[in-house]
Amino acid sequence: MDTDKWFSKLLEDPGNDLVRKAMDEGQIPIGYSCSYVPDVMLSVDGLFPVRMRAPGVAGTELADNYLSSVICSYTRSLLEFGLDGRYDFLQGWVFAASCDHLRRLYDNLEYLRRPGFSRILDVPHKTGKAAIDWYTEELQLLAKSLTDHFGCNLGAAALTKAIREHNAFNAILKAIGEHRRSDHPSITGTEYHRLVIAAGASPKKTLIPILEKIREDLPTRAPLPPYRARLLFVGGHLDDPGYIGIIESEGGLVVGDRLCTGSYPGLQPIPETGDPVAALAKYYLTKTSCPRMMEAFNERAEDIVSLAREYRADGVVIQIMKFCDTWGVEAASFFSHIREAGIPVLRLERDYRLGGEGQLRTRIQAFIESMGK
Amino acid sequence: MLKKYFGGCDVGSTTGKAVILDENGKMIAGSIIPSEIDPEITARKALEKACTSAPGVGDTENLSYLIGTGYGRNEVPFANENISEISCHAMGAFWCDPSIKTIVDIGGQDMKAIAVADDGSVREFAMNDKCAAGTGRFFEAMSRIFRMDLDEFSKLSLSARKTIPVTSQCSVFAETEVISLLAKRNPPADIAAGIQNAVGKRCFTLLKRVGLKPRLTVTGGCAKNPGLLMELKRLFQIDIVPLTVDPQLIGALGAAILASGKGSLR
Repeated sequence: MDTDKWFSKLLEDPGNDLVRKAMDEGQIPIGYSCSYVPDVMLSVDGLFPVRMRAPGVAGTELADNYLSSVICSYTRSLLEFGLDGRYDFLQGWVFAASCDHLRRLYDNLEYLRRPGFSRILDVPHKTGKAAIDWYTEELQLLAKSLTDHFGCNLGAAALTKAIREHNAFNAILKAIGEHRRSDHPSITGTEYHRLVIAAGASPKKTLIPILEKIREDLPTRAPLPPYRARLLFVGGHLDDPGYIGIIESEGGLVVGDRLCTGSYPGLQPIPETGDPVAALAKYYLTKTSCPRMMEAFNERAEDIVSLAREYRADGVVIQIMKFCDTWGVEAASFFSHIREAGIPVLRLERDYRLGGEGQLRTRIQAFIESMGK
Repeated sequence: MLKKYFGGCDVGSTTGKAVILDENGKMIAGSIIPSEIDPEITARKALEKACTSAPGVGDTENLSYLIGTGYGRNEVPFANENISEISCHAMGAFWCDPSIKTIVDIGGQDMKAIAVADDGSVREFAMNDKCAAGTGRFFEAMSRIFRMDLDEFSKLSLSARKTIPVTSQCSVFAETEVISLLAKRNPPADIAAGIQNAVGKRCFTLLKRVGLKPRLTVTGGCAKNPGLLMELKRLFQIDIVPLTVDPQLIGALGAAILASGKGSLR
């Protein structure tokens, strides 16, 4: 089996074959859209999470009727898919009020296309004790509403089990990603990103055997052909591996990432002891490291510099979605911070849908050339 | 011993350009042709035209090293390699005048600001978005509304007595706006000044991103637009250095210079 093709196929449709199969077996898919949503809580007792994407979206004619012109194209594309019925298979969704755009998505979906179960989490903008306590309570309410609606068991034992399985799964993904650190990596950033996105788009358990096989095979896989530069790829939501594919086709191998939909900060282990809801609240609130947080500005920028050094990246590419206020503002300070650290950096703006390929290629090629590579 | 020749081929969206250098680094030929639908055909035709007019070359087969650049650079299979037009414009302008530190390149469908390092490489660059507003395509559309050819339209704003602002950034909306202004019998030269002003402001935004260091030059097909050059000079408050080579050929020239650097090592 050509695993790369198989994973590509999985990403073509939000309700992919694995999702349909799990549904046929009686499992319940719940959509979510942001890293602040504790997907672990949607992986308990017959539920499974589906990170919402809009693969292949061609236009947003329906959504444009409801959203203002300054709403980002990710939000717009999700609403489009919601309105034209491509998310009808979901039996519920959980959003996070992480930015105003996603709040508008929730409002509109709630009004226009509400599924059986719908909830939005109130996410504090700080990570101190009071905020964690608040978020713990918010997650307790989520657990209660899931239990009330679906009759599933979200007790402490069930949640602890789900955390353990989540950590075990992420450990496999992380181990695969570690191969990118090598001087001669045997996995591209594109292939790796495809695995990570597939993990969010499918019932995780079904992917374990194939991911285990990839992990086993990687040490003996031939190194990739020569490339021109090692890059760290930074940004918020990006679920199209094709974008990284274009960068890599110009000779910039993506050896590390800091993406909401990537390996860092998302694949760190969650504590498996103590009160699971409190552990989840603390983990998701403090580890997500989103520019929406009104603190730790320097730490977030420094994190990127440290990652670039850790992965021995020759340069950093920051990509932001147009009209994303949170990333748009903070990317400017990231840019100067990274440059002051002596690391070449390129900032790219993009739409959710991959377009303008020629210009993207020119920018990447010129960036690599300007590094003298 | 046979002489060595080096080629640069800039396959743009609107025109294809080729430049040939001899082994002494002298530019011996340059060509500009309208782009074909197929970039490979554009490249072949531009190169054939340049090679035919280059004394001693005659055929593209006689080039020791060829570098492709421009939006169609990946479609020049007979080139030894391809390099982005950003690096090529930097090198081409630097070769003409090493004191150039900043370039505005305005081509058929995009616009770039380039900060040049002391060795002719790219220090920093910024590029417009995928929209073609403020590029050659935009000027072509505008000239059609004025029922003029491009050359005539490019000079129209030079006789303006005032600038009538054209507020729309989008080519399609700007067209509608300009038609309305003309219908109200506003002087065409004053509207043309507004169009040049709108494009100049787009350049200004890009230049701010890379930092404007003297000396500044303008390259690409739109560098032949005197109305735009006058507006850029007024907006930037800085002289625009004219180059010794046709500014539309600078990308191809840069590619040929980089080709001579690589080809001489062979």
